[in-house]
Amino acid sequence: MAEYRTHMKIIGDILATTRDDLQDEDGASVTYLIRKANISHSRISTILKTLVSQGLLEKVDNQGSHKYKISENGREFLQAYYSFTNFADNFGLSI
Amino acid sequence: MEFLLENILNLVGFLVGLAIGIMSYIGFRNTGSPTLFRLTIAFFSISLGFFVIWTGYMIEDFVIKSGNIERWIQTLGIAIQTVGYFFIAFSHSIKSFFPKSSYFRSVGIFPLFLVSSVQLEHIFRSVSFILLAYGAIETMLSYFENKNKGAISVSVGLGLLALGEFLGWYSFVFPDSILYPASMIIKIGGLIALFIPVSKVPLTKIKFDEDFGK
Repeated sequence: MAEYRTHMKIIGDILATTRDDLQDEDGASVTYLIRKANISHSRISTILKTLVSQGLLEKVDNQGSHKYKISENGREFLQAYYSFTNFADNFGLSI
Repeated sequence: MEFLLENILNLVGFLVGLAIGIMSYIGFRNTGSPTLFRLTIAFFSISLGFFVIWTGYMIEDFVIKSGNIERWIQTLGIAIQTVGYFFIAFSHSIKSFFPKSSYFRSVGIFPLFLVSSVQLEHIFRSVSFILLAYGAIETMLSYFENKNKGAISVSVGLGLLALGEFLGWYSFVFPDSILYPASMIIKIGGLIALFIPVSKVPLTKIKFDEDFGK
């Protein structure tokens, strides 16, 4: 059975991909993120827009296509996300 | 002896609840997670409940000096704690806690106005017991899925608090027995077990835009 992912977990997966699993130095394309984070195009577009507006991701224009890189704020957020995921895990909960 | 144990229990409960509440709040501010928000309410309520009872004992000891804490203060503190236990259980997705019939919803709270504060205290204790037992079982079940050792400690902590509530409620049958002091010692053990895994979580002070996650 597929594991249910909360909105927060999906954001964590996207940020983790842009930090640890990049195709190249320019960042990750939307297609790559869709595949890695296992999420639909319509949903990821909204999330990416929010993450960029919040300063967690940087949007890079690369030869006509957009790529996404994690920002310094994004790295800090991801660190906090892992810490508090562990905190919530202790209570048997998902953040 | 009982007075001393009450003071230790309520002080430990206040501090542990406050510490976990603050951690949950920092987590909520950093991530915007609704789960952490519910935990924040839960542990601030638990902390406040213990604080109210502790204050009652302090006022009784240093001001009133009647030998007994005002019953309504104890009932109020336990009621506030029950709200906290509800939010812990609620975080585990209680879907059938409230009766579905609007008639039962409307009359559900009515009996609370018909009973004395002593009986109210027993009602709150029994509700707390059910919520804590539910939280303990759900947390233990999550351990079987995630194998996170901290969940065992939290589950044992909630279980001990549930047992303490049960013994505290049952002690009214045998008022001068060892049951009530035993319930307080068990609850102190439960609070410590609850705090152990939480104390190992590294804290972060970073803060993001308040609108994040909306």
